[in-house]
Amino acid sequence: MRPMLKITDLSATVGEDSEAKTILNGLSLDVPAGEVHAIMGPNGAGKSTLSYVLTGRSGYEVTGGGATLNGEDILGMDPEDRAAKGMFLSFQYPVEIPGVPVMTFVRTAMNAQRKARGEAEISAPDFIKKSREVAGMLNLDAEMLKRPVNVGFSGGEKKRLEIYQMMMLEPKFLILDETDSGLDIDALKTVADGVNAMRDPSRGMLVITHYQRLLDYIKPDKVHVLAKGRIIKTGEADLALRLEKEGYDGVLGEAA
Amino acid sequence: MDCCGGTTEHEDDCGEVKVKDSIDAKTVEAAKALESENYSAGFSTTIDTDFAPKGLSEDTIRYISAAKNEPEWLLEWRLKAYERWLTMEEPSWAMVRYPKIDYQAYYYYAAPKAGAKYASIDDVPKEILETYEKLGIPLREAEVLLGVEGAVETAAEGREKPRVAVDAVFDSVSVATTFRKELEKAGVIFMSISEAVHEYPDLVKKYLGTVVPQSDNFFATLNSAVFSDGTFVYIPKGVRCPMELSTYFRMNAENTGQFERTLIIADESAYVSYLEGCTAPMRDENQLHAAVVELVALEDAEIKYSTVQNWWPGDEDGKGGIFNFVTKRGDCRGDRSKISWTQVETGSAVTWKYPSCILRGDDSVGEFYSIAVTNGRQQADTGTKMIHLGKRTKSRIISKGISAGKSDNTYRGLVSVNRKAVNARNFTQCDSLLIGDKCGAHTIPYVENRCASAQLEHEATTTKLSEDQLFYARQRGIAEEDAVALLVNGFVRDVLQHLPMEFAVEAQSLLKVSLEGSVG
Amino acid sequence: MSTALRDFIKNPTAAELELVARYGMQPEDARRERAFLAFAETGLPHRRMEAWKWTDFKAALKVLETPAAVSAKDPLPHDGALVFRFTPKGFEAPAKLPDGIRMVAQPSVQAFPGAEDVPMGALAAALAGSGKRPATLTFEITSGDAPRLHFVFEGAGEASFARIIFLVRSGASLTLTESYLGGSGLTSAVLEFDMEKDAKLNRTIFQRGASDEALAVTAIAHLGAEAEMTQTTLAFGAKVARMETRVVHQASGSKLNLNAAYLSGMGFHADITTNVRHGAPSCVTRQLTKGAVLDGGTGVFQGKFFVPRKTGQHTDADMQHQALLLEDGAQVFAKPELEIYADDVECAHGNTCGALDDAQMFYLRQRGIPETQARAMLTEAFIAEALGMADEAVRDVLLAEAQTWLSS
Repeated sequence: MRPMLKITDLSATVGEDSEAKTILNGLSLDVPAGEVHAIMGPNGAGKSTLSYVLTGRSGYEVTGGGATLNGEDILGMDPEDRAAKGMFLSFQYPVEIPGVPVMTFVRTAMNAQRKARGEAEISAPDFIKKSREVAGMLNLDAEMLKRPVNVGFSGGEKKRLEIYQMMMLEPKFLILDETDSGLDIDALKTVADGVNAMRDPSRGMLVITHYQRLLDYIKPDKVHVLAKGRIIKTGEADLALRLEKEGYDGVLGEAA
Repeated sequence: MDCCGGTTEHEDDCGEVKVKDSIDAKTVEAAKALESENYSAGFSTTIDTDFAPKGLSEDTIRYISAAKNEPEWLLEWRLKAYERWLTMEEPSWAMVRYPKIDYQAYYYYAAPKAGAKYASIDDVPKEILETYEKLGIPLREAEVLLGVEGAVETAAEGREKPRVAVDAVFDSVSVATTFRKELEKAGVIFMSISEAVHEYPDLVKKYLGTVVPQSDNFFATLNSAVFSDGTFVYIPKGVRCPMELSTYFRMNAENTGQFERTLIIADESAYVSYLEGCTAPMRDENQLHAAVVELVALEDAEIKYSTVQNWWPGDEDGKGGIFNFVTKRGDCRGDRSKISWTQVETGSAVTWKYPSCILRGDDSVGEFYSIAVTNGRQQADTGTKMIHLGKRTKSRIISKGISAGKSDNTYRGLVSVNRKAVNARNFTQCDSLLIGDKCGAHTIPYVENRCASAQLEHEATTTKLSEDQLFYARQRGIAEEDAVALLVNGFVRDVLQHLPMEFAVEAQSLLKVSLEGSVG
Repeated sequence: MSTALRDFIKNPTAAELELVARYGMQPEDARRERAFLAFAETGLPHRRMEAWKWTDFKAALKVLETPAAVSAKDPLPHDGALVFRFTPKGFEAPAKLPDGIRMVAQPSVQAFPGAEDVPMGALAAALAGSGKRPATLTFEITSGDAPRLHFVFEGAGEASFARIIFLVRSGASLTLTESYLGGSGLTSAVLEFDMEKDAKLNRTIFQRGASDEALAVTAIAHLGAEAEMTQTTLAFGAKVARMETRVVHQASGSKLNLNAAYLSGMGFHADITTNVRHGAPSCVTRQLTKGAVLDGGTGVFQGKFFVPRKTGQHTDADMQHQALLLEDGAQVFAKPELEIYADDVECAHGNTCGALDDAQMFYLRQRGIPETQARAMLTEAFIAEALGMADEAVRDVLLAEAQTWLSS
């Protein structure tokens, strides 16, 4: 079967011309539809860079290799076009957007994506109904959805709001970048429940995390270890436990 | 301003700083007793001195130029500046008030007798050497260690003590420059500017007045006409200066203006850290100081310029003290060059000073870190200008103003971004701290942005010293003055850490001394 | 008049000579003369004056001329408001005013303390009252629920001047909206607000002009104990447009919200200048100014908080200015200033200036919102923050006007 996300020998740099630094260095990775893959790695391994390169943030330059989503090259696309193709990034540090209420924001995003795919806009009542359902699952206060995006939200609220958006937009492929950081155990469970509810034979997921903790709640099908800009080891779910026990140095030492 | 007329008694003086109930009377008395005695650099030295004729005229300028045996071009340069100066008006926009300066009442040149420069350190008159020793600036190389008492304790154990080469300027002339031989080996030129005029005329000619043009402003033009001495530094391509360079300015003679001129050039990929210290005796008259400092950083070069300014601030009634009108400017001429100004301003009666950076080279960086403390009747109007011309130029301004007594402390700054300075960045933070209810703290930033891709950010706060924090510290047994010093040190920490360590220690103790008597 | 008219102003420009001539045609009046002399001290303000370094009327206004275009249409609703119209030659007011609002139109000039600080205000005071227009228009508000007063400045002509004084009595409240719609080569209006204890004022200013017009609106407000003033300005600028507000907190506990948005396109210059004096203890000021500027446009923000010794204790004041340079060729000048002589205060100011935030843009685009739409959304939200406290009757109109401008 053709993998949903296929990354081949991907290299990328960050920074302007003379100060460009290579962060990804020949990274290859396949994630088939219906599977959840975890990427683990020490700080500075290139985890966040990978998520930004895949979603098209400026400041990162692809210097080699490629990435396709359902066979389509995504690296040349604008960020919003990738989003319309179904790529969703749950940010490690969700951005504050003063003056734009959550509901307005998500509805604008949803309709922009639908328009790009040639679909009809969602009606206001349908949108509100859906929003209520999703908010209920995530224990989100309706008041919160009227406030500007992420402004004045706690770390946990911001992460829950990312999951809310994910469930509203129903993307095809999810990248969760350090979604567990800054969450207490209850918030972590709520977030994991939301993510698990999104698991689907037609959907792929990449869970980027530094700690194994999140993987207790979101069981991965595969675990990849990212170091120095490439995948150096791939295993089953138990690899995460080994990493936790032996540390990166132990496992990396063995790989080297 | 003075509601009680000429009374010199402190008691019940309605103009006095309000005494808070929580502070015991002894502390206040002790603090008052310190007010002028605590200026430890306030002694004067008796030494035979040659003066130029009092006052300013073409003859004065010819006298200075002749005394230094200057080439004709330099005399012409001075006279041109003088001609220009006659047409200029003293600026009045700064938030400082001082009696009208009579420019004819000063001596524009004072030199210890027996010539400008001594062949060896042994020829320097004993009185001058003692003066510097008393100030903690030993000129004998064997003794040039840390330069500052107290620093030893904090210097990491076993670490080699940093060495500092010193150019000592006594009134109008440079009397000694240490470590010259060793610096010469590295190719570094470090000498008084009067010597450089003779030994390296091409370099001086090439760079003098190119950063601060003769006609730049009233005080800079005055300096161009009458500058007496100062320091010249040239760091050749690729050389990292092997030690800190330092100039120590001492104003000694009465009624004398000091007009030094410093010129520092860091050639491509060179690095130098330069320290400047200043003191003057306690005198009842106002002495005038109008210096010009020019820095040039070529491609990939870096200049770090640190100042601890402790000119005599005048007594508690505002009598005497230095008028400090200084033009300091750095030109980041080459790509990726960097100029960093760090200043600790505790002295002078009136300060008018804006160390600035012209960020001409692409990717060049300008920094300004400042602590300005005013107490008594001091007035300071100081800040910086960051002129962004090159692409991706960055600047950073951190200013901490502390006002106490009946002083006024103003931050004035300009961040200007040229249309072509794409992706320029500036971050400015100005914090003011008020100690007591008779002082003023002012923040006047100017922002001129002509480039859409530039990002400029400015934050400022004005607060008083927190009673809660003060109480907390005192409850733990820290004496009030120490607690104030502790809190103020916390307030200025971001800046102190940019000073070379030896200087940071001196700055900390200066802050404490400057603020003594400020609570209550 | 013994002094030759042209000696009033040193080296006058053609426009200044015209202003002197207009003054000469006014009936003699000692207060008028004082106001005109205050203006004549400097003439039309210019870049060599510190308070006008970025807004130069002398250079912008060489001659007094009727502009090419007529005034813009007034977007603010007239329904439910008492409407007063100023044209260069005339003045219209409702035939009858309800209880609680009294209007006095006087042909004579009232005393104008502080005229030296506001040259354009002094000019307005000196030249108001030509044709059928009163020299001084005074309103006394005694009601707590008076209808909104709406002032329209429009028409076609060379110059238009007005002076309006509002006395808001203890406990009374005034909702005031003003539309400055251009159509005059030079418009200068000066408004004074005397707010007694517990008085309330919600003032909204809409300004739109053409790139061949000059406009100055000068407001001076004194706030009594516990008085509350909220002001919202939306300015699109003109060749030069200066919206200047000076507020004195003169008794304890007064509160001021001072908000403004400026949107400046090619050939337009919008200047928001404010000066707030905390002349009484425990007063609060919250100030937010936002700007968006396009290629060839200029935005100016000058704000000052002055906190005097003793009387200014327990001041709580915050000033924020944020500007977006939306295109190359835009320029923004800012001077957020604090002058503080009291120690027990909390004063802060912040200033940001630059392009839209990259991280925000990426976040929106990652969610699928196209670049142009993302840009419009962020810019509108950015501007809207400064308009949120405008009176309900006009808030949505202001937002819509800003949106239309930003999306065109």
